[in-house]
Amino acid sequence: MRLDSSRSLLLRLLMLAVLVLVPPMAIASLRALDRFEEGLSPEMDRKAAAIGRDLLAQVDRAVSYGIPIDKLVGVDEFFTTLLNGNPEIRYLGLTTASGDILFLSGALSDQLAGQYRALHLTEADMTGRKTDIGAFVDLALPVRGRDGLVGQVHVGFDRGYIAAQLFGIFYDIAVVLGTSLIIAFEILLFVVVFNISGPMKLVAEVVHQARRGDFTRVPGITSADEVGHFVRAFNGAVRQVDNAYRGLMAYIDEVRTGHFDRNVAEKVGEVADRVRFLFRFNPSGAPQVLREKLSSDVRLPLFLFVFAEEISRSFLPLYAQALPAQVAGLSPELMTALPIAVFMAGIALGSLWAGAVTERLGSRKVFQFGLFPAVLGCVMSGLSHGVIELSLWRGIAGLGYALVTVACQSYISKTTSDSNRATGLGGYVGAVLTAAICGTAAGGVLADRIGYAPSFFVSTALILVSGWLLSQLLSMAEIPQSVVMAEERHGTHLLRIFSNWRFSILVLFAAIPAKMALTGYFFFLVPLSLWDSGHSLPEIARVMVLYPVVMLAVSSLSTRLADQMGWRIGQVALGGLVGGAGILAALAFDGTLPLVIGIVGLGISHGMSASPQLASIPDICWIECQRHGRTQVLALLRTLERVGSFVGPLLAAVFLQMWGGRGAIIGLGAVVLVMAMVFAMVAGAYGNGPHLETEEDAP
Amino acid sequence: MSWSLARKVSAALIAILVSTMMVMSLFGFFKFEEVMSSLVRSRYSFVAFTIKKKVEDSLNLGFALRQLRQVQETIELEKARDEQIQGIEIYDARGEILFNSDRGRIGASVPETWLDPLTATSSQPFALMDEDSNVVGLPLVNNLGKVEGAVVLLYPSGYVERELGAMLGRLALEIGGLVVGFSLLTLVVASLALRPVRRRLAAMEAGLDRALMKDGDVAIAGLGDLGEFDGQFDEFVGKTREAIEHIKTSTDEVERLDRLA
Amino acid sequence: MIGRLFFGVVTAVLLMSGPVAAEPAAKPYRIYMALWRGWEDAAQGFKDYFTNQNIPVELIIRDAGQDRSKLPEFVAEAKQLGVDLVFTWGTTVTVDMLGTYDTVDPAKHITDIPAVFAIVSQPVGAKVVPNLASSGRNIAGTSYLVPMDTQINLLQSYRSVRKLGMVYNPLEKNSLVAADELRDLGKRDGYDLVVAPVEVVDGKPVVESIASKVRDLKAAGVDFLYIPPDTFLNINRDVLTSAALAEKIPSFAAAENPVLSSKAMLGGVYRYYTVGQLTAYKAEQILVHKIAPADLPVDPPKRLSIIINMPVVRALEVYPPMSLLSLAEVVDSGVEVRP
Repeated sequence: MRLDSSRSLLLRLLMLAVLVLVPPMAIASLRALDRFEEGLSPEMDRKAAAIGRDLLAQVDRAVSYGIPIDKLVGVDEFFTTLLNGNPEIRYLGLTTASGDILFLSGALSDQLAGQYRALHLTEADMTGRKTDIGAFVDLALPVRGRDGLVGQVHVGFDRGYIAAQLFGIFYDIAVVLGTSLIIAFEILLFVVVFNISGPMKLVAEVVHQARRGDFTRVPGITSADEVGHFVRAFNGAVRQVDNAYRGLMAYIDEVRTGHFDRNVAEKVGEVADRVRFLFRFNPSGAPQVLREKLSSDVRLPLFLFVFAEEISRSFLPLYAQALPAQVAGLSPELMTALPIAVFMAGIALGSLWAGAVTERLGSRKVFQFGLFPAVLGCVMSGLSHGVIELSLWRGIAGLGYALVTVACQSYISKTTSDSNRATGLGGYVGAVLTAAICGTAAGGVLADRIGYAPSFFVSTALILVSGWLLSQLLSMAEIPQSVVMAEERHGTHLLRIFSNWRFSILVLFAAIPAKMALTGYFFFLVPLSLWDSGHSLPEIARVMVLYPVVMLAVSSLSTRLADQMGWRIGQVALGGLVGGAGILAALAFDGTLPLVIGIVGLGISHGMSASPQLASIPDICWIECQRHGRTQVLALLRTLERVGSFVGPLLAAVFLQMWGGRGAIIGLGAVVLVMAMVFAMVAGAYGNGPHLETEEDAP
Repeated sequence: MSWSLARKVSAALIAILVSTMMVMSLFGFFKFEEVMSSLVRSRYSFVAFTIKKKVEDSLNLGFALRQLRQVQETIELEKARDEQIQGIEIYDARGEILFNSDRGRIGASVPETWLDPLTATSSQPFALMDEDSNVVGLPLVNNLGKVEGAVVLLYPSGYVERELGAMLGRLALEIGGLVVGFSLLTLVVASLALRPVRRRLAAMEAGLDRALMKDGDVAIAGLGDLGEFDGQFDEFVGKTREAIEHIKTSTDEVERLDRLA
Repeated sequence: MIGRLFFGVVTAVLLMSGPVAAEPAAKPYRIYMALWRGWEDAAQGFKDYFTNQNIPVELIIRDAGQDRSKLPEFVAEAKQLGVDLVFTWGTTVTVDMLGTYDTVDPAKHITDIPAVFAIVSQPVGAKVVPNLASSGRNIAGTSYLVPMDTQINLLQSYRSVRKLGMVYNPLEKNSLVAADELRDLGKRDGYDLVVAPVEVVDGKPVVESIASKVRDLKAAGVDFLYIPPDTFLNINRDVLTSAALAEKIPSFAAAENPVLSSKAMLGGVYRYYTVGQLTAYKAEQILVHKIAPADLPVDPPKRLSIIINMPVVRALEVYPPMSLLSLAEVVDSGVEVRP
């Protein structure tokens, strides 16, 4: 029940965003490229002239010794050396006085021969003559021998060289544009939901009641826009009815108390009863102002927060590598892995704690509480002087990350009912993944342009914006704490769950290796390997962004598949195998390709298995879910799998130290694949439906 | 100024547009400067390299660096060829300037940091920053393998900005114009995009107003395909009117009863 | 702005270089130069280095005139004068004055005074030093022969060779060693060595046979002639190089004279002058920088002098590659030679 079709409105606005962002970017880029080429071309001329002068001097010297210009030896090698040292020079040539080509490197003779013969260079052209030959710009200098002009030296460059040099920026611009579009989408979504869909949902709720004569509530919207105007009119109508009712009732009361004729009083009472029967009004004297928050309100701040945290994704190990390692005893590889591992440990500890704290303090407090370590950890990561220090601050940032995300999750589950909780949590996952896409891609470009440490400051600024937004939103309506969990329930009793072998196997051989692959391979080994093979930061980021992209695509598909086919465990098993096999592509190929395969494989793997893994818990741990609550069991799984997150980078670092980059990838891939195979084999014995054997063991 | 929906949407989009264009321009400029300065540096390194070759050939013949009088002519020639070159200097391993395109500086000393690249016995080119100059240099090595000194070439560090400032300014203006143009477009198009919403709200409001006026018509005409919500809204308007009328009649009834007595 | 920067540092540099700059006023280093056959380029290079570097030295120059019996007197005189450093020229002077490392005798040799040697063809073979990394005693020095594979690389970079010819005096052991080395390198580089020893009559090499030997080589299809650093051939370099020119065979000389003052086409040498400068550089390390002589390696100059004899090149029309030409020293008298 919504006003208008806000989906089509959103679509219109998105088209508007594309219209407003893409053409100016395209026009500006092309204009800039033109201008830049224009600006660079005199510089190219000067470089060509410098090369030409030197070349001429050497040829002059040889000629002055009486070597005939057509008998010069080793000219091609000589040209090649010069061309290699000066990549912007396209070709070098030497011709006779009449322009017949003697030696030419870097271009084909028939491209130039005709032009050269037509050139008619004279000794007067001391500083050379510039001509355009097709895409080339040619500088010709005369070679003077003992008896006048004996030849011409030609230096050529390619107009396209400048464009090619500048072209690298287009990937960056594409990333900026893509990120901008996604951010624009998030912001528009927020604007529409916050200003139109949300308020109208409230209006709809009130309308739904009022059309049956229930005028007890009015939507509490106070914005100054058209929706606000409408709501005021709407409220005016409801209040008018309410006031009329109050007036009537007051009148009736007056009549009843003031009148001595019982008959009249009775009749008046009947009128009042009739009105009360037909319509309902708030007994408190005025309509109750209805305020409701939507789970999607946190989407934008959450998006910004995760975006900020993901900025360092593509370069964190490189940053750690670049910082001086302070502690002897740990290998440099381990030192490089440490910040990631500690960050993961911070998240693990933070979420363990945040779960309990949120119940007591409410999401707003936890959120504000988490913002502090998040901001501190982020800003200090940028100011770190050593790896240990960096690791410490990453750990604190991880703590903040856990608190903030748990606060958002609990906000979502409290603002949604059972029926739309899945949609709410879907929105959460969507926001996190799109933020991962943007953050990873933009982070690489950013770090390449402004450096590692300043990128952390940009992250900090984004976290602060996100914090400000969220505290504004959460302060408007704090959800009263109605849910009180029995604290005693989880404790030693929950640990009995390990006697459920299905659960233990799932944790050990599916959940943990998945996280190990994510943190050890994707977060740690991938950036390092790409960097070592000479890729720039934006390139690394562009490769790494494949993971959230693929995962986003696969997960929506696989969730539907899992629900339809009920093949959850199978999906988890298959996902694990795909992930491990993908990483092991390093066995078959060299270069960047196996990493791309590995990342895509991991994206497929996690997209395929993440939600079925959680969804399978109620089946596998039916008894425990009944006894401790599903949330508790899921939280335990979440916590346990983070052991893998922590171990992943450290294990990868040990492998790296022992076997080098490729060896480490193969080693980690093998570990992940073998564990996935164990799971796949055992999973065959899982069977389906609830399992009661643990109940027999239970006291 | 009230924040209408169109204004809110436009403000969000314009903010995104402005920041996107700023980020893009900044990246573009950095990239351009990087390409440009590497080109400039490579050219000056090349010039320095040709001087180095000449000097080392002479050193090879056994001459001492300070004896190479013809080098002074070479560097003066190279400097004269390019007005952007601030100076070319050749100094010995102790930092004394032996030759300089500015003859007045011969005999003075170079900053101590310029000697640092010479301590390593390699012929690696080096680049230094002076207060307002970029410096590219190459060590001069004699045939004994000993670093005798270095040749350095100075050019202004604001080279790119100075040479192309006007062009970049024009480009910035163009981009600014683009941003303004598209911002205006955003205002117009956002208002167009939100018009259906605005209209519908206005129509519902008008329906409500009419319903509340005593002689108003209950049916809301001209809203077209309104869907479930609007159907409910019609019911709401009807109910509201019904309530008002009912209360009114009830009030009349009570009044009548009151007066009756 | 630069000026300001400079002035700030001028004082600092002066202060830093104070002790060095102050030394000219102090007493000059006294160096005893023991020569074998008079004042030549190595000695000149040695002397010029100090002049160029502004290092004050007082040179006490003694020439043995190829008379070995004078050398003990030199030892005694150097000791008596109490000089700061001794320079010895050639293998004989070096061995007699400094002793070999296994027979050094403080009574007969110079031991307390640091010494540098030059123009010793086999510093290890003559037992002057146990290895080239360190003398292990109070002496340092330079070597001056170009390693054979460096010579061959240079020759090959001028023009790829299939058959390398060599005329030599079979009485000189050095030349026999050179022939063996060339043959070994030929296996690596893929060329054949064709040797033509000059005729020996009554235990003396015959000058007149040189030209016919060159003709034999031409007949064997030789495309480059290697001229070893052979005393007999050095003396008769005009005969040999003219014959090669007449047969249109390009010639490579391992010594500088056949190229500089005769008609060999190409030479790859360490010039005596440069070797003398390098020896002086070692002396500077010892005297000024107080480095122990045993810590200085015995090495040749870093850069080879490539000498191209342009009139011969023009006559043969075998032109040097551009990259080689840009590195080379060109001898061009302007006088054309005819094959």
